[in-house]
Amino acid sequence: MKLFTYDAVSSLPAALAARRGTFFAGGTTLVDLMKLEVLTPERLVDIGSLPLTKIEATPARLRIEALARMADVAASHDVLRNYPVVAQALLRSASPQIRNMATIGGNLMQRTRCSYFRSVAEPCNKRVPGSGCGAFEGDNRSHALFGGGPACVATHASDLAVALVALDATLTLTSAKGSRDVPLAEFYLLPGSSPSTENVLAPGELITAVNATGGPRAARSLYVKVRDRASFEFALVSVAAALALEGGMVKDVRLAAGGVGTKPWRLAAAESALRGQPATLAAFEGAAKRSLEGAMPLSGNGFKTSLLERTVVKTLARLGGVS
Amino acid sequence: MSNVGTSVPRTDGPSKVVGTAKYVDDLSMPGMLHGATLRSPVARGILKRIVKDPAFDWTGITFVDATDVPVNVVALIQDDQPVLASHEIRHRYEPLALIACDDALRLARAARHVTFEIEPLPAIFDPRASFERREIVAPPDNVFGRYRITKGDAEAALASCEVVVSGTYSVHHQEQLYIEPQGVIAWFDERGAHVHGSIQCPYYVQKGVKKTFVLTESDVDVVQTVTGGGFGGKEEYPTVISLHALLLAKKSRRPVKMIYDRQEDIEATTKRHPAEIGIVTGCDRDGTLRAISIHVLMDGGAYVTLTPVVLSRGILHAAGAYRWEHVLAEAVAVATNTPPNGAFRGFGAPQTIWAVERHLDKVARQLGMDPLVLKSNNVLRVGDTTATSQTLKESVGIGECIEKARTASDWDRKRALGPVVQGRKARGIGACVFMHGAGFTGSGERRLKGRVALDLLLGGRVRIRTASTDIGQGTETVFSQIAADALGLPMSQVEFLQPSTARVPDSGPTVASRTVMVVGSIVEAAARELKERIDAEQAATGLDRRRAMDALVFRAMGTAEHVYDTPRDLEWDDATYRGDAYPVYGWGCDIAEVEVDLDTFETKVLGFWAAADVGKAIHPTHCKGQIEGGTLQAIGWALHEQIVWKDGAILNGRMTNYIVPTSLDAPPFTTLLVEAPYSRGPGGGAKGIGELPMDGGAPAIAAAIEHATGISMDNLPCLPEDLFERARKGRAA
Repeated sequence: MKLFTYDAVSSLPAALAARRGTFFAGGTTLVDLMKLEVLTPERLVDIGSLPLTKIEATPARLRIEALARMADVAASHDVLRNYPVVAQALLRSASPQIRNMATIGGNLMQRTRCSYFRSVAEPCNKRVPGSGCGAFEGDNRSHALFGGGPACVATHASDLAVALVALDATLTLTSAKGSRDVPLAEFYLLPGSSPSTENVLAPGELITAVNATGGPRAARSLYVKVRDRASFEFALVSVAAALALEGGMVKDVRLAAGGVGTKPWRLAAAESALRGQPATLAAFEGAAKRSLEGAMPLSGNGFKTSLLERTVVKTLARLGGVS
Repeated sequence: MSNVGTSVPRTDGPSKVVGTAKYVDDLSMPGMLHGATLRSPVARGILKRIVKDPAFDWTGITFVDATDVPVNVVALIQDDQPVLASHEIRHRYEPLALIACDDALRLARAARHVTFEIEPLPAIFDPRASFERREIVAPPDNVFGRYRITKGDAEAALASCEVVVSGTYSVHHQEQLYIEPQGVIAWFDERGAHVHGSIQCPYYVQKGVKKTFVLTESDVDVVQTVTGGGFGGKEEYPTVISLHALLLAKKSRRPVKMIYDRQEDIEATTKRHPAEIGIVTGCDRDGTLRAISIHVLMDGGAYVTLTPVVLSRGILHAAGAYRWEHVLAEAVAVATNTPPNGAFRGFGAPQTIWAVERHLDKVARQLGMDPLVLKSNNVLRVGDTTATSQTLKESVGIGECIEKARTASDWDRKRALGPVVQGRKARGIGACVFMHGAGFTGSGERRLKGRVALDLLLGGRVRIRTASTDIGQGTETVFSQIAADALGLPMSQVEFLQPSTARVPDSGPTVASRTVMVVGSIVEAAARELKERIDAEQAATGLDRRRAMDALVFRAMGTAEHVYDTPRDLEWDDATYRGDAYPVYGWGCDIAEVEVDLDTFETKVLGFWAAADVGKAIHPTHCKGQIEGGTLQAIGWALHEQIVWKDGAILNGRMTNYIVPTSLDAPPFTTLLVEAPYSRGPGGGAKGIGELPMDGGAPAIAAAIEHATGISMDNLPCLPEDLFERARKGRAA
């Protein structure tokens, strides 16, 4: 680990006044990456004690402040009742120890698990712009089907972000100049030619809250995660779905996938295919096929296309009560 | 008073629970330096030059390369592995130089200022390419070992069998992933060399130190600190890290601590040997097995280490737990340019048992028979002869194992039901029948002459001195139980001395499922001798028991040292590989029930029934713990674990991406102990069971997956994408 300075701040204005430095809360990603020397911040600004931990999850509105712990959000009965996809995505993330430390804002800011990004001995455009990408030609079982390019094919790691995309969530971003709300789907950037820039946060800007609107769709939502073991593992493929049914017909639907995109991946074509259709297995299978539009499999992750398709079917079938 | 057969509180438990147990990284020495290893960045090449950056301040940093090594070999079976490579590099991560510094941060910085000029050579990673000698990477012929077992005339018999089935099966690397990584502290003083560390076999380390530093036995003291697991991974490798630490200590004249972090440990140390196994069998239409022909090709990695012995145990288990009139088994191990493969629980047997069990499931399918009935009908019984023509005389509890597992798991009903498809999930059940030789192979124990000493101490106490280490498996507790009962003393009066080559006799290594069965029986014999002396003293003097014990101490008659009484009726011929391969066998029947998700092809193990014939369970809770832990390790090998290689480098050398099962992946276990006592086993007939539970898990899981889905896996692991691919191909066909 490289040497660094550490400052703790006790108020939001003090945090926003910090002119340079890397924000530090639960530390579950940052410390790990600092030990690997993948990240070498010169200054940490500890915001862990700021009073931003409120969780509000009424049937109408979800608002989670950024420093709420993953474990606390997952344990909230209101979240589980009104926004089950959020609680499920959190409970299927990491391990109990990490969920006790990690914050919601930090979860959304976590870095990719790409082994080339995480190994300083390997080239990686995200870590060292211009150094190349080891995954494109190398081991890429865990890499992205969607949103990648020659510069980077690393997947976004957060389960929560996938669930929140399925809820059309927005983030409140706060800086010394004030606050703005940004749809989560627009918060993350595609790697393009500069994969080191992952989101629209301005320097010194902080995520302060996550917001979403409730309703029947949010209440009938589900997160399905496929991974290499039952706990403490990232998604090979995951699907978040929110389904509004009326008289056996799909009134509205949101579908998002994890483990397959360079950012949480909204399956828009599958959604449109399903809207207005009967909630039957055949309709779900038809929509699931559309979820593969735009997929660009690599040498080692071709299995994910069919796995995604089957996981979309599985998720919709469970939500729609058909088998 | 009976401690044996009772699950007494483990003697090392309290200190581990409250944190007073001292692991090597808890220890510190005055003036101690931290050491680090600088390793090869290529899989094969010629080391031309080591360059130390002249711009870096090297003050206070000790640097060691091959020119500092007195005798540059790691003494093991063959002296082919250098302590530090001087010229030829045979694998990625091969140690090339060592550095030490009192400041761990500066040490890490210094490591980045050493570069190696290496002329790369073509490397081989495929054992078949090595066998075909496409490159010679280990002169003269890339071969590390060969064995051949014959019984009857397999080729002729196969030609005349009614049903002939053939198949090819393969298995992959596996990392031991003990909780505590490798580590030692080493120093020299006026008495010689000292090593304290996380070590399975202190006398192996002593042997290596003697050779490399040209020292005698009395110059070298190797002490085992409290050890967090080994699974074979701390059998041969601690010799390497100990030699490295001592080289730095010698040059710096300071104590040196070397502790690997997890990534270095996974990358640089040994793994389970991959293997490819071809099998042809012949049987009658009623399922009576007649003949088997087996060919094993094992991947040894870059140096010999223990490969020939692993290959030997592998081929000795390759015919499975069955009666064959005709056997031909040929095995060869070859070199590749990966880090050396080595000892890992099961030691070659899980590889070949995977193959023979998958094969017999295939035979059963062709015959239209219940596989467990096929296996049960042909399993070895007392009076039968094994592949090496050994006649089994006693302690064959396999019949009871099969019956218990079959009944407890409700096998007959579940198997007859066929795959149960409910919604988008399918359930199935599979079985594995197996045996595992307990103790050293053939004449191993006779050559080794393991020894144990028991000392009476003042105050009516007894101390056990043995080189058998407790690495978490419970040696200390179990030996204390055996000694206490043989002496007629309470457990609280028995002590276990920390193993140190200066203070304990050489009981042989802590390997090969031999600790309880072989060394435990030496403990028992020594304890009985002491008891006889105490009884005689009491009879002669009329003293009470405790005073009689003290009297013996005062007369210097308080120590009994015993050598293993090798069974004399065992006959083994190393040249023909025929005879009594093992004094006795542990037996097992594992049954797994799985549920496969037909959308994602994830496998969930719903239940696992493990019936094991252990001879006698000295400590039933530990015994079941061994069985469940070993089985879970086997489940990990079957369903999760996989080393990802690229040009001889490991891409997933961390616990976040080398996937082992978590407690959530562990199935509900039903562990059924069967006790068919071994006449020479301690405590009323105990047999070794350390490795047995590693053998059955993977084949049982694969058989259950096959029952559920019709997908027959011949290679490991059974990842969801592999199952799906097989299902897709099956549908296409």
